[in-house]
Amino acid sequence: MLNRRSFLTTSSLAAISLATPGLLGRASAQGAALKIGVPVPISGAFAANGKFATIGAQMAAEEVAKAHGIEVSTLDLDTEGKPATAVRKVQDALAQDGIKLFAGGILSSESLAMGKEIERGGGSFMTTAGADEITGPDCNKATFRWSVPTFGAIDQTVRPIIDALPEAKRWYTITPQYVFGDGLLNAAKAVFAEKGIEHVGNSYHSLTDKEFSGYLTNAISAQPDVLLLLNFGAQSSDTLRQAVSFGLKQRMTIVVAWASGLEQFEALGPDICEGVYFGAQYWHGADTPLNRELVARVQEKHGFNPNYSFAGSYIISKLLLDAAAKAGSAEGSAVIGQLEGLKYTGLTGEEEIRAADHQVIKDYYLLKGKAKDAMAGKDDYVDIISSGKSFLSAEQSGCKMTA
Amino acid sequence: MIYLFQILNGIGLGMLYFLLAVGLSVIFGLLQFVNFAHGAFYLLGAYLTFDLTQRGFSFWAAMPMATLIVAGIAAAIEALLLHRIYKLPHTFHILVTVGLALVIQELVIIAWGPLGGSVPAPEGLQGVVIAGDFIYPQYRLFTIGFTAVLAGLLWWLLEGTRLGAIVRGGSESPSNMALLGYNTMRINTAVFGFGAGLAGLAGALAAPIRGVEPFMGVEALSVAFVVVVIGGMGSYTGALVAGLLVGIVQSVMTTVWPEGARLMIYLGMALVIATMPRGLLGRA
Amino acid sequence: MHPLDKPAVQFGLAVLTVAVLPLFLTSGILATEILIFAMVVAACNLLLGYTGLLSFGQGIFFGVGTYAAGICLTRWQVPVPLVLAGSAILGAAIATLVGWLSIRRQGVYFVMLTLAFSQLFYFMAYTFSGITGGDNGLLGVPRPSLGGAELNAPWSYYTYVAVCFLAIFAILVMVTQSTFGRTLIAIRENEGRAAAIGFPTRLFKIEAFAISGAVTAFGGALHAMLIGVAPLSNIEHHTSELILIMTIIGGSSSLFGSVLGAGFYLLLADALSAVWPRWLLLLGLVLVAVALFLQRGLWGLVERLYDAVLRREPSPTKPAEEH
Repeated sequence: MLNRRSFLTTSSLAAISLATPGLLGRASAQGAALKIGVPVPISGAFAANGKFATIGAQMAAEEVAKAHGIEVSTLDLDTEGKPATAVRKVQDALAQDGIKLFAGGILSSESLAMGKEIERGGGSFMTTAGADEITGPDCNKATFRWSVPTFGAIDQTVRPIIDALPEAKRWYTITPQYVFGDGLLNAAKAVFAEKGIEHVGNSYHSLTDKEFSGYLTNAISAQPDVLLLLNFGAQSSDTLRQAVSFGLKQRMTIVVAWASGLEQFEALGPDICEGVYFGAQYWHGADTPLNRELVARVQEKHGFNPNYSFAGSYIISKLLLDAAAKAGSAEGSAVIGQLEGLKYTGLTGEEEIRAADHQVIKDYYLLKGKAKDAMAGKDDYVDIISSGKSFLSAEQSGCKMTA
Repeated sequence: MIYLFQILNGIGLGMLYFLLAVGLSVIFGLLQFVNFAHGAFYLLGAYLTFDLTQRGFSFWAAMPMATLIVAGIAAAIEALLLHRIYKLPHTFHILVTVGLALVIQELVIIAWGPLGGSVPAPEGLQGVVIAGDFIYPQYRLFTIGFTAVLAGLLWWLLEGTRLGAIVRGGSESPSNMALLGYNTMRINTAVFGFGAGLAGLAGALAAPIRGVEPFMGVEALSVAFVVVVIGGMGSYTGALVAGLLVGIVQSVMTTVWPEGARLMIYLGMALVIATMPRGLLGRA
Repeated sequence: MHPLDKPAVQFGLAVLTVAVLPLFLTSGILATEILIFAMVVAACNLLLGYTGLLSFGQGIFFGVGTYAAGICLTRWQVPVPLVLAGSAILGAAIATLVGWLSIRRQGVYFVMLTLAFSQLFYFMAYTFSGITGGDNGLLGVPRPSLGGAELNAPWSYYTYVAVCFLAIFAILVMVTQSTFGRTLIAIRENEGRAAAIGFPTRLFKIEAFAISGAVTAFGGALHAMLIGVAPLSNIEHHTSELILIMTIIGGSSSLFGSVLGAGFYLLLADALSAVWPRWLLLLGLVLVAVALFLQRGLWGLVERLYDAVLRREPSPTKPAEEH
């Protein structure tokens, strides 16, 4: 039953009945091999992330297999961007395929739901989703998170910009109305208060909005020096595109606190990115040993530069698989024991998995868009302005880990 | 002051919404056909514009080309597929067009990838117009003017020409039209292609404002439905009035109570159907 | 009546389904999801097939049931049977309201009105995140326990759901066979005539809505316990669309057709999504094919096969709308 594995994709319809996880005749390949589930949105509105995430996980699996001389396979689980589907696929993978390692979950709602389920099923789970709750109030023993939460994302973008632009005293924010957006907004307000910045207004929008001209009109009338966008993905691209068409780049500094990096810059194009500040979890131009190595290998194998979806998925899969290989078991408790407190050389430099809340302590990047003629290659959209680690303590994050 | 700006901005939005919805309305009016694939034609129009401008065509060439290609594809789909199911209950209209929308959306992802992209505003319209505190992109201003001209042209076409009379006659009594010697099948194909082409044109015009991404059709479809229902199905003037109304409400609400903008719009839609079943300006 | 449409046969097929699913499926989760959607789709069919109402609002009731279970089980530890009953009552109440407002209009306007309500309820669930958990949903919804043991194993929860499913299906079969059900069909066939005879047609339609809403919310509550979370996506208009598509694929002329529709869709989606990331394209083609060639749905296919094999004489052809 190899059909579902990502390295053997078949489009033969005859294979469907065999590939169906539910249908009889499906035996899961038990044995010494390590298996990792990759629950990411492969279809639906976040398909772009899922596409790269599955290749990233695949690459990690191949490396770990080579390094430890074991057989490693990945199983792509299409969550369709819906928590219900995500949970069902994870439950099936736990029960049917005996999979205990899971790397994925790009959306917060999916990750929160899957984390609970994987804990219940005795597995371990690492995610790149953004919601603070994952390593905060809704933390659990099985769930780890690689990406920097809202506090660090704001602290590493807003603070250095305030320092760099001392005359920019008036900031306006545009925020998606839900917990993640509020997390970013509250963190930003705290920095504003500390630095004596005037927060001249905020516009909330819903997660289904695509038209931002109304919010931009609000922002213009507040006459800010800086426009801080706290939404993400397609919505932040839409907002930024429309802000640029309203000529706001000439009138104020624009900051996108939670950008997705290369994939977003490709969609936006260099003309829109130029001069805009972006906060990012990962950038392929980061000058760290492991990252240089990864970029070279991905270039050689796939002919593109790794983006955030790829790199995030790669590193979380690698961490889980390495831990399982070292522990000699994929069981949750063994893997968790290996991961807690682990210090390692990661893509952003030295990284550490905090035992108390399972948050990875890593760098967050502040990037700035380059002019088109200053770009050295087709992916050289930005310069790294600064990077660093900012995290609330485990107590402040609100995580109470129950053993 | 801000409310005035929001109303002006809302008019700009509303004109786009009108263009998006009027095709749906025309198709419904003539064919009594519920078209859940309308958003997919908008998507296709936007992506074709994106593709053509990437290939070096100017926006002014890409826009009409994209419109015509979408209209052609839609007419072909109508002639091959849809005309077989007009007589079936609405359930099957929904099934087929939901299926079509999925097919088009996935083909777009296969052809252009899942990431999306930007379409630059055409040369000469990339700047902004500044009037006191009010800033407005030149390109958006152009779309308002362009759509207004188009709206006039459409009005003349649908209300003032023999073609319009034929279309309206076909919708009121297909058998009479057949008796008069008109080929209703061919009229239906043309009207469907025309309506879908308008959605494609809306997509082409929206591309420099919104960029393109594979799921833009879903939102467009729900906007189009709201506008058509409020304005009255099959009503040209209704689509115009309702498009402007929805645009203005959405824009003004972003200042008053942004979270409630959608609630207001759908509540309004429910109220209109409950109290004025034919919409604000629908034909009885 | 076609011999397969006899109530005993219909119920027998439902029992058979419950017994056969564990033999053919290795995933208890998928099997359970099929049964939950089977009842929800059958409830949609009560409106579409029996009353002629194309409701785009079934996701509202499904979501309401999901949230009712989510809130009661995570905040107040209400016993599960009470939660299920409460969800059904709440679903019925909201369906009564939606139905009462929607049936004032007919045809496409009715469809659009239910569509508007479905969007309205979605944005309410999104806006009032204090109650619903907003985009994150309500996490940690427990499974029910029987005799002190939590039904955590997929197949034990399957058994629980299977019992619920058979009970609900039996009730729905009885409803459609009752005078009430026959009246609904009369209303569908010719509302004017039914009203002239003296039936309170509007009341009957509202009652059909209430029953449909109760069953759908009941299914929503079971679904929340299945996946352990009450997500916002359960109340999205996409869920309404899904339920409707399953109903049409299954065929609206028989309740068991809905079971087929739910099973077919979920198995197909599961299989296709594992094979090709662009599987929605194939799904789209299936929908088009069903509308063109299978207008009586899978159930129509079953009837034709039955006639071909067992009766050897064609039953008089029926138009698609007829029961």
